Amino acid sequence: MNGHPTREEDFDLYALGALEGEEKQAIESHLAGCRDCARKLAEAQGRIALLALAAPPTPPSAAVKQRLMSQIRADSERTASERDAPARPLPERAQGFFGSWWTAVLVPVGAALAIATVFLWNEDRQLNRQLEALHSTVRLEQQQLDQERQVADLLAASDTITIRLAQQPGMPAGSGQVSYNPKTGMLMYDGALAPAPANKSYQLWLVPVDGKPISAGVFNPAFGLPNHWMIGLPAGTAPKAFAVSLEPAGGMPQPTGPMVLVGPVS
Amino acid sequence: MQRIVQRDESALAMVYDRYAGMLLSVLNRILRDKQAAEEILQDIFFQLWRSAERFDGSRGSLPGWLVVVGRNRAISRLRHHNPAAGDELNENTVASAFNLEGAVAQQQLLSRINGALENLPVEQRAAVELAYFEGLTHSEIAERTGDPLGTVKTRLRSALETLRRTLHTSAESGIGTT
Repeated sequence: MNGHPTREEDFDLYALGALEGEEKQAIESHLAGCRDCARKLAEAQGRIALLALAAPPTPPSAAVKQRLMSQIRADSERTASERDAPARPLPERAQGFFGSWWTAVLVPVGAALAIATVFLWNEDRQLNRQLEALHSTVRLEQQQLDQERQVADLLAASDTITIRLAQQPGMPAGSGQVSYNPKTGMLMYDGALAPAPANKSYQLWLVPVDGKPISAGVFNPAFGLPNHWMIGLPAGTAPKAFAVSLEPAGGMPQPTGPMVLVGPVS
Repeated sequence: MQRIVQRDESALAMVYDRYAGMLLSVLNRILRDKQAAEEILQDIFFQLWRSAERFDGSRGSLPGWLVVVGRNRAISRLRHHNPAAGDELNENTVASAFNLEGAVAQQQLLSRINGALENLPVEQRAAVELAYFEGLTHSEIAERTGDPLGTVKTRLRSALETLRRTLHTSAESGIGTT
């Protein structure tokens, strides 16, 4: 490709990773020397990245955040200890009578100071660790409190509806319950279902009075994925029913499989 | 980002809370393996922590960068590629006119993206999903679907043109924009 890509979609196709062979090489060799096209590619990357939103929502397990925060804390401690370690040797001391005399006095004092410094440094590190552990505990408790407050708010609201989801004939055994507030869009699911068959996941749907079903979570007890969660859906959505369907593993943008649990909104 | 550069753990926790759900959703959709997806999720946020000072906010969007890097890693794992570790913070400049920072903005864009995808002809939508979520090229999509290569190219190009027009309209009407 000697000139600029002629169509905007060329950048999208490149960002999507669909181009290959000569088409890909041509655009790459042009991008290397063209600032304007590099900017257009960055915009295309941003557009294509939005397709991520079409993936069925998957809330991360709380354990991932705990592992991440432990990892960065360990990294911070390692970095701090590297920074605090002595970086260069001390200069040689003066020699001779006075040198020896001062050495005789200063060496024990210096050693005592060094011991005291190491002791205090260790104390400081231990206190910092304890403080960090306390902070971490407080943060976790705060998160739990926030979650409990959200659950309490949802259940206490006069306009929250609670729908029981009933097992459908021929489907895996189980039941579920949805608490949903149409005004805020907050939804809580709690249920018990047999593990999904191989290569399948369960997916919870809000079926609105108008429009297409809205995914409210993908789960599979077989992999330890949670059987209860809260999720925020678009506020103001009036539901006709809630349902759990059996979908390909990872879920689908719209229901494609059989309904396992169904709960109509009366 | 400045606070993350200054080693403020609560700032990283805040960024994590804001984007981890969105990122894990796409990782899990690609890998169909939540454990593997969570490993990549943790790794990306740790990389952000270690190298935050090299992220140039003026050159790109953080959520866009997270998604692009996450998708690349998930597809590499899916296809058993093990590329040499690249300087992803510098390599992937992702500009976005869209604001993904708030749950409401994400929800608005989600509705618009889902609406645009649902309005595509089935074959076009399938081609986009095979390319985005499975990392397939033109010829790999043709091989997978059994359609002629030229047909696949036309479908994908038409789909992307439609999506670009839809997003352009969203940006003009202020939906989910910064």
